[in-house]
Amino acid sequence: MLHVNNLTAAIGSKQILNGLNLDVAAGEVHAIMGPNGSGKSTFAHALAGRAGYDVTGTVTLDGVDLRDMEPEARAAAGVFLGFQYPVEIPGVNNMYFLRTAVNSVRRARGETEVGARDFLKVAKEAMDLVEMKQDFLDRAVNAGFSGGEKKRNEILQMALMQPRLAILDETDSGLDIDALRVIAGGVNALRGPERSMIVITHYQRLLDYIKPDFVHVLVDGRIVESGDHTLALHLEDHGYASFVNHELDDAPERPLTGVQS
Amino acid sequence: MTTAPAAVDPTVAGQSIALDWIKANGYPTKRHDAWRYAPHQQLSALSFGPPVTPAAAVFNPAAQIPVLDGPRIVVINGVVDVELSSTTGSAGLSLSSLLDARRDQPERIGSHFDHGNSEITDAYMALNLAFGNDGAVVLLDDDVVLDVPIHIVHIGAPDETRNASCTGVVIEVGARSSATVVETRIGVGSEFGGSNIRTTVTLGTAASLEHVLLQDMPPSHVQLSSINVHQAADSRFLARSFNLGASYGRAAYNVDLAGPGAYVDLSGLFFGFGDQVLDQQINVIHTAKNCTSRQSFRGVLDDESTGIFNGGIEVRPGADGTDAEQSNQNLILSERAEINTQPRLEILADEVACKHGATVGQLDDTAMYYMQSRGIPATDARRLLINGFADQVVDEVGIESVQAWITRRLGHDDV
Repeated sequence: MLHVNNLTAAIGSKQILNGLNLDVAAGEVHAIMGPNGSGKSTFAHALAGRAGYDVTGTVTLDGVDLRDMEPEARAAAGVFLGFQYPVEIPGVNNMYFLRTAVNSVRRARGETEVGARDFLKVAKEAMDLVEMKQDFLDRAVNAGFSGGEKKRNEILQMALMQPRLAILDETDSGLDIDALRVIAGGVNALRGPERSMIVITHYQRLLDYIKPDFVHVLVDGRIVESGDHTLALHLEDHGYASFVNHELDDAPERPLTGVQS
Repeated sequence: MTTAPAAVDPTVAGQSIALDWIKANGYPTKRHDAWRYAPHQQLSALSFGPPVTPAAAVFNPAAQIPVLDGPRIVVINGVVDVELSSTTGSAGLSLSSLLDARRDQPERIGSHFDHGNSEITDAYMALNLAFGNDGAVVLLDDDVVLDVPIHIVHIGAPDETRNASCTGVVIEVGARSSATVVETRIGVGSEFGGSNIRTTVTLGTAASLEHVLLQDMPPSHVQLSSINVHQAADSRFLARSFNLGASYGRAAYNVDLAGPGAYVDLSGLFFGFGDQVLDQQINVIHTAKNCTSRQSFRGVLDDESTGIFNGGIEVRPGADGTDAEQSNQNLILSERAEINTQPRLEILADEVACKHGATVGQLDDTAMYYMQSRGIPATDARRLLINGFADQVVDEVGIESVQAWITRRLGHDDV
């Protein structure tokens, strides 16, 4: 479904992604872990189409080349990015924003738009999923939301947009354990054979709730190790140091005690 | 310059004083702080004088103005149009033309005309004193709560005879009474012209008024508005200014918090396109103790438009316990647009809490990207952001149909 081949990304003279390869099949959940500055968020934004990066390599979703597409066209193609730092938009009503988003994508796909009443029904179901109260819809987008509320709003948007590929960038950051459970519950409910997910996280903790099919370690802008979910447990115990050192001093293969697959 | 007073109406009080003032002091120039960005060449091409009703006074303003339940006074080129007006009052409410009020109850509109030489601030006030002998009068007795808004509609229809008009508006709200007045300013035709509208508001003890100004003149017009407010103790004045039309649109608010405990909240939106110049001149004077003032104005400036926010807070000696805040936030949509924002604070009392702040920003790239990543095309995302910024002022308006009119005027529907 998603093929990323030799992806590089730079901002000005600063190279961030250095030939990243990743294949994600339909229905799979891939976790990407890595130390600070390894390029995790850049990868997420490069997939979503943020301006400002010089990108080379290929990215295709269902055979469609995303690379020269605007973010809105990628959304119409089925890409969704759950932001690490959801943006506050004062003055723009959340309900209006959500409906505009859904209808923009429908319009781009040549589908009929959803009326206000029908949309409200769908929105309410999605809100139950992330345990949001009705008044979230009446507030401005993310404005004055707590960290947890913002992240729930991201998952709410994902539920409404029904993407082919969901990229969740540090969705667990700043969440307490109860909020994490709610968010993970929402994400798990949205898993399905036709939907793939890339879950970017620093910590193993999130992966206790959202169990990935594959775990990748991103260091210096490329994937240096891949495995199943036990790789995350290994990282939790040993950190990233061995991967980083491996790159630097060409040390022999370190023992990967957790990987048994 | 302005035409000489050809046919002076001898019934206008203080007319000669006003015209003598101009002879002695002249017209404002760029050197006058309050007129620094005004288009002086255009202003000097206006020919003020006694009102002239246009020859073919056939208008249907309904399409251009918000439709409100309640009485309406329509003024065309400074003259009340009886046909288009519906001035049936109600218990404790008297609505009339300024001309009639001057004849029938001159004592109640004295505050509008009785300005000696020293109280005239500039030539346009003087012109209005001299020639603004008709207009709208709203007088509310004590202890009356009006539940429908009063609509005063000004229509500018410049023609060859005279391209500029002066109008007076008098609003008096008695003790403990409350009302809403909407003043809509529109024009017809595309001929160059101007209007000079001076509103005098007097609020009795614990009186309350929401005053909405909708300035939507055609781009061929120059529009000068001044709203002069005198507040008694514990009164409450809410101004909602939408300075949208005209080539030069000026909204000047002069508020005197004369009685202790008075509260004023001035908020406004100016939204400029093309080469519009939209000018807000605010002066809030804390005369009495323990008064509260709020100024909150937002500007959106596109193309080559210019916005001005000149916001004054003056705290007079003895006005202890003053609580004053001012903010001006601006969104610049074009490299050629310009905003001039200036706070003026003069504090001569103790125990004063005074805050002010101004911001100038562009559309937030991150917010644009966020919306686009949700499938919203860039043009729509831009519109949503601009509307979101403006709507925070629109939301302050207490009348839904006026809110709806403004959002339509700004070119968007809202939920």
